[in-house]
Amino acid sequence: MIFELMIALTVGAAMFGTGLYGVLSQTNLVMIIMGVELILAAALVNLVAFWRYLHPEEPAAQMFVLIIMAVMAVEMTVGFGIAIARFRSRGSVEMEEARELKG
Amino acid sequence: MIVPMIFLVFFGGAAVWFGVVVFRTHSMVRSALALLFSQTAVGLMFLVMQAEFLGVLQIMMMATEMSVMAIFMVMFMMDPGGLGAMDMTHQKRLSLWAGGIGLGAALAVIWLADWGPAGTDIPGAAQQTEDLGRELLGRSMLIFQSAGLTILTAMVAATMVAIAPAKEQPK
Repeated sequence: MIFELMIALTVGAAMFGTGLYGVLSQTNLVMIIMGVELILAAALVNLVAFWRYLHPEEPAAQMFVLIIMAVMAVEMTVGFGIAIARFRSRGSVEMEEARELKG
Repeated sequence: MIVPMIFLVFFGGAAVWFGVVVFRTHSMVRSALALLFSQTAVGLMFLVMQAEFLGVLQIMMMATEMSVMAIFMVMFMMDPGGLGAMDMTHQKRLSLWAGGIGLGAALAVIWLADWGPAGTDIPGAAQQTEDLGRELLGRSMLIFQSAGLTILTAMVAATMVAIAPAKEQPK
C-alpha cells in the first residue's frame, strides 16, 4: 500500500465532498462557483498524486493538470459573465430568485 | 520517507479545513480568502509531491483568481462583510447527505482498490518541465490548443453575455 498516495487521494475525496456540499447548499452564484472550484481542486490533487506515486515517467498526467486549470479558468469566466448579466437585469445573483430558469 | 508524509498530511489537512471554512463563515471576503488558502495548500501539496512547476503555477494562478473572486464578492453580495449574519443556504440536509455519500464512495474506492506498484524514477524539476513542454508541443498539442481556444471562446462569450444591451433608438 502506498500511504502517501492514500493520503493525497483522501484529501482529494474530502475536498470533493466539501465542494459538493457547497454547490448544492449555497444560494449565491459566486458561492456556487467557489464550490465548483473546490471540486476541480480535488481533481487536481488526484491527478498529481497519480502522476507522482504511480506513473512519474508519464508527462501526460501533468498535461491533464494544465487542462483542469484551464477548465477552472473557463468556469470562472463564464460564471462571472452570467453573474454580471443576471445582476444587471435583476439586481441580484441569488439563485433562489432565479426560479424562472426552471424548465 | 516520513517527512514528506507529515507535510502531505499537514498541507492536506489545511486544504480541507480552509475548504470547510469557505462555507462556514458569514463574511464573503473571508470565504474568498479561505478558498485562496485552500488552493495555496493544494499548491504546497504539489511541491511536497515534487511537482515543482505545477505547484508554483497553482499558487500563482489561484492567488490571482481568488483576488478577482473577492472583488466580485464585494460587488455582488448584499452583505459582503457578513455583519447581518444572513443565511444564504438552502436544502442543507440534502447537501450534507450528498457530500457525505460522495466522500464515502470516494474513500471506499481509494482504500479498497489495488493501486499496483509505486513508480520509482521521479524526474528532476528541470527534466519534468522539459518533458511537459515536449508533451504539450508534441503528442498532446491538439488537446492543448483546444484548451487555449476554449478559454478564448469563453472570454469572448462571457464578455458578450455581460455587456450591456444597446438601447433601441426611437424611430
